[in-house]
Amino acid sequence: MMTSTTKFMASIVLSKLNKHYGSLHHAVKDVDLTIADKEFVALVGPSGCGKSTTLRMIAGLEDISSGEIRIGDRVVNNLPPRDRDVAMVFQNYALYQHMSVYDNLAFGLRNKKVPESEIKAAIDRAAEMLGLHELLKRRPRQLSGGQQQRVALGRCIVRNPLVFLFDEPLSNLDAKLRAQMRIEIKRLHSQMPTTSVFVTHDQVEAMTLGDRVVIMRDGEVQQAGTPLSVYGHPVNRFVAGFIGAPAMNFLDVTIRKEGDTRVAQSAAVKLAINEASARALEAWQGRPVIMGLRPEHLALGSDGPVSRSFPAKVEVVEQLGSEILLETRVGDARVTVARVPPETQVAAGDQVRLSVQPGRLHFFDPKTETAIVA
Amino acid sequence: MTGAGRPLFGEQTRFMLLLITPAALLLTLFQVVPIAIGANASFRDWALYNPKKTWVGLHHYEAVLSDPEFLWVVLPNTFIFMILSVAGALVLGLALALLLNRPFAGQKIVQTVLLVPLMVAPVIAAIMMRWMFNDQFGIVNAVLEGLGLDGQPWLVERWTAFGVIVMTDIWLWTPWYTLLLLAGLQSLPREPFEAAAIDGTSTWRVFTHLTLPMLRSVIVVCVVIRAIDAFRTFDIVWTLTGGGPGRSTELFSLYAYVLAFLTLDFGRGSAAAIIGGLIILVVGAVLYRVVDRIARV
Repeated sequence: MMTSTTKFMASIVLSKLNKHYGSLHHAVKDVDLTIADKEFVALVGPSGCGKSTTLRMIAGLEDISSGEIRIGDRVVNNLPPRDRDVAMVFQNYALYQHMSVYDNLAFGLRNKKVPESEIKAAIDRAAEMLGLHELLKRRPRQLSGGQQQRVALGRCIVRNPLVFLFDEPLSNLDAKLRAQMRIEIKRLHSQMPTTSVFVTHDQVEAMTLGDRVVIMRDGEVQQAGTPLSVYGHPVNRFVAGFIGAPAMNFLDVTIRKEGDTRVAQSAAVKLAINEASARALEAWQGRPVIMGLRPEHLALGSDGPVSRSFPAKVEVVEQLGSEILLETRVGDARVTVARVPPETQVAAGDQVRLSVQPGRLHFFDPKTETAIVA
Repeated sequence: MTGAGRPLFGEQTRFMLLLITPAALLLTLFQVVPIAIGANASFRDWALYNPKKTWVGLHHYEAVLSDPEFLWVVLPNTFIFMILSVAGALVLGLALALLLNRPFAGQKIVQTVLLVPLMVAPVIAAIMMRWMFNDQFGIVNAVLEGLGLDGQPWLVERWTAFGVIVMTDIWLWTPWYTLLLLAGLQSLPREPFEAAAIDGTSTWRVFTHLTLPMLRSVIVVCVVIRAIDAFRTFDIVWTLTGGGPGRSTELFSLYAYVLAFLTLDFGRGSAAAIIGGLIILVVGAVLYRVVDRIARV
């Protein structure tokens, strides 16, 4: 049984965590991650990146090949799921279809032989928080996807666990409901702050929900940081391309010296680099690098000096009402431009100039793809 | 109804009728016609030595239904056999299916070995059992005597003979349950069980609160099919005891068979068969509802 003192400190520490499936598939590689008490961490990455496996290892549903997992002050490597005091929300809800919503919510507490009066009180509280009161007598299959996921959330809340684990809980919902449930989860976390790990492949979910975002690829952690820091300072090209929508544009350029300034130049582009970046790019003088430009940092037209803009040919115009998305061609590269004011007169085939602030440029090593200037 | 000049069915319907015609013909020839002939016979005095086929109405039905042998031996035997055999094989089959559902070394071999009884013809199984339980040369008594116990005249006393019959049937049918229930188990979604594991559910509670209710439909279908089938059991009883000692282990199909083909009273035999058919029709329908309701809880 948990004592009340340990309930207060539920940090999760993963050290050198590995998962092998057979000898060929190395799903999780040396993951080191510390999740603070009451922190909400979003694990994000493309499918097959090991994020779900990591979560399932924390839950105890997968064996750990090597490494260590601590929850609170205990190493839980060899504890069965039920002794870890975690609760989990699954992608397909995993409700007990043959039980009423009330019995679904009560199931975990009845396992622990909690008196029915306490169970009822806990369910009342959870139902209040999630607006489930009218649904308590129904069966899960009579509910919509969003309602079912709320029941699944409720099932976790009533148990008042040390840790909440979310395995892509919003993926089966339609876009509108997903946004709603996102807010609901966020609200829930502020109402009952509990250490939470949220797995998703959707960077918007990760950015909006996570106190910290952990980006994974091929079983390795690429970067962990606040949403703002992973957006503003991606450590490599993968993170830069994964975080942010629409995705960052990448151009192959060469760093040249032109008078006092340094420029990033290709056949189609010549952009001045600010001083801070220039210092970091000192060693790259005359060598090719990858330049990253966020679509939302590009603007149509050239108000400033010529060295801050470059020509582009509009190929596709997407009018969203609130903004225009432009698909343009710059040399032989495609460049997306976002946040073009919706009234702008622009059509496919137009020749335009795109401008960007020098401080907004990202540069990556073309071989290792790590950031030179983030 | 259809207007004058219009064909009776649309083109598509006619094509569908054409497609089911062969099956319908076969069914009619080999199921409907024999049943009709049998039903006809049950209303007549029809025996090999009496070919006049006199119409006697419900006389045979009255005779069967007032036969104390039928009422107090055959019917109870049939239902006791049905209940014991279905329940026994269900419990054993479910246990084996649960065992096979978790991976272990040599699982494939065990799975194959378990299926052997399914491949043995019931008559052969019954002969095997008869030898094993033979009171003079059988291995069962040999083992018992080897252990210093008394051998039993297994097939000579009513309830031991009946027990051997039930046991043989359970042995024969357990793998069938195992196979179907294992398929059912493997088709269950994984996540509710994972959720239950995280929720700290004991193995027994997982079984009673998740596995059983989720397997409900498979169990209901298995029980109903097997119950109806058990009602008609003939081969193993005929081979093991021939209904004996006396007529004490006679089941319903034996009763009808003996009447029709040993005493050659086709009329009486047909009446018995039709009574049995009606009984199993009702029992099957009731069973379906009852089992479904029990499993729903």
